[in-house]
Amino acid sequence: MKFIIFAGTPGSGKTSIIKSIIQELKNDFKLFFAKFDCLQTLDDEKIAKEYKIPAVKKLAGELCPDHYTALEIPKIIKENKDKDIIILETAGLCLRCSPYVEEGLGINVLDITSGDPSRYGPILTEADVVAISKGDLISQAEREIFRAKVLKVNPKAKITEVNGLTGEGAFDIAEFIKESLAVKSEKLTLKHSMPSAICGYCYGNRIIDETESRKRFLAGKELKSLVPNLNCGKCGYKSCNEFIRAVLDGKAQKEKCPFIKKEI
Amino acid sequence: MNKEITKITILPGINKLGEKENFKKIDIKKGEVVAIVGHTGAGKSQLLYDIERLAQKDTKSKRKILVNDEIPDKELRFNPKRKLIASLAQSMNFFTDMAVGDFLKLHLESRGKKSKKGLIEEVIKEANKITGEAISSKMNLLNLSGGQSRALMVSDVANISVSPIVLIDEIENAGIKKEEAIKILVEEGKIILIVTHDPSLALNTDKRIIIKNGGIVDVLNTSLKEKGIAHYLNWIESFGLDIREKIRKGKKIENVEIYCEPIKSKK
Ligand SMILES: Nc1nc2c(ncn2[C@@H]2O[C@H](COP(=O)(O)OP(=O)(O)OP(=O)(O)O)[C@@H](O)[C@H]2O)c(=O)[nH]1
Ligand code: SF4
Ligand SMILES: [Mg+2]
Repeated sequence: MKFIIFAGTPGSGKTSIIKSIIQELKNDFKLFFAKFDCLQTLDDEKIAKEYKIPAVKKLAGELCPDHYTALEIPKIIKENKDKDIIILETAGLCLRCSPYVEEGLGINVLDITSGDPSRYGPILTEADVVAISKGDLISQAEREIFRAKVLKVNPKAKITEVNGLTGEGAFDIAEFIKESLAVKSEKLTLKHSMPSAICGYCYGNRIIDETESRKRFLAGKELKSLVPNLNCGKCGYKSCNEFIRAVLDGKAQKEKCPFIKKEI
Repeated sequence: MNKEITKITILPGINKLGEKENFKKIDIKKGEVVAIVGHTGAGKSQLLYDIERLAQKDTKSKRKILVNDEIPDKELRFNPKRKLIASLAQSMNFFTDMAVGDFLKLHLESRGKKSKKGLIEEVIKEANKITGEAISSKMNLLNLSGGQSRALMVSDVANISVSPIVLIDEIENAGIKKEEAIKILVEEGKIILIVTHDPSLALNTDKRIIIKNGGIVDVLNTSLKEKGIAHYLNWIESFGLDIREKIRKGKKIENVEIYCEPIKSKK
């Protein structure tokens, strides 16, 4: 099984180019598509309908969508062992997180109109393939300058230009996917560590104040040490972290997690 | 492959209906200017794209492009530093917030070249031959008009993105002196392909490829008669452009002198 992650800022053209890639691959491979987002997306439905391949949406809600992606990857792999290629589209909100994995192929869809590439973090610098989109909107001179700049921040990437509207470039990426190595075990490794979640704001604090944030952080940390971090969903929340935030916000009783009760 | 490019060859693929294109091969030699014509949506830009990426049955059209009678190697196709092809696309919007002169310098550098003294000024000077509204090196790119942007890009392709093959997608759409533009681009014995709806441009070429339903259906050599007609058309248009400039400058157009310079037919 090959595991392919498409990351790129919202609206950069991820789904558009994925569609043309699926068209290239669907006759020869068993595919699965997963779209991660914060609150809502229709990408999975569009793809399932148009290409008749299984697709799901995964909504992160209160969690950082990229951290959530990392949490969900093992489940996706477990449930799709019969597939040849898993295509995952991230929410693309964080230039720092971008959950590429060592064992799979990381593709950054980079909108050429989105400014200087040197400001991007791992979403670009750790990508195996950089697919520059929307080149049809700007001059050839700027396209060349942009390409040279991308090469500077990520010299090892394969760079191609794609057009989500016409499907240009999809063939090249389909080739890169075919050439990429299959995932051997269920245990995947992130290409880089994600930013730490270490403050009261991570636990839902809204009052901008150091003391308040610290208080919230300590309360959160305590709860965190009580839950078993199983993300089992028995509390009614899809992850322990969301449950902890709800408890701290007074929206949930901590007894809702059966594991906490036992330990008291 | 550092050899000089003397020729490219288009080998047939399929049209939008999946039917094989009905020709053996089309050769385009160094120094030739070829028009690509057909209705909107017929697939003209696809042909440019096939040539731009030196397609090997790996695009929608399944065409194959040879360079000097050979299949070009991968290095030539994908390494951006080995630019074989310059293209002037339909869209000419700039996004970079920068002065014209600085931008041209940056483009030179991204091509791995040092700026020669006077080159930037030369690029701007050539651009100003094509547009009625003068560009200066201090102007901000974002403030250029459509015509100025196009003129600058034409001159950029001729002087900075120097490549043996030039692809042009509908140059006529921006109120520039297109005849001058073509003159600047054609100069040095390159291979030039122009997608166009413009009759005088289409007839000002060596041959024209006709596209229908995504497939090449015919290739016509431009006759001497057609070139003559192109000449007249050009003349009429430049006359219009001249009046346009006068109106823009606030002049009154009181009388219109029409004189027709007869074409000198050879032979
Ligand atoms: N001009 C142009 N528009 C494009 C291109 N690729 C995509 N678009 C347009 O950009 C918009 C967003 O494209 P999507 O493919 O939905 O982008 P996305 O990255 O999947 O967006 P999210 O899933 O919301 O993050 C759509 O309107 C596309 O039609 C391109 O290469 N050129
Ligand atoms: S029930 Fe407990 S262990 Fe399960 S998700 Fe909720 S907090 Fe986590
Ligand atoms: Mg999408």
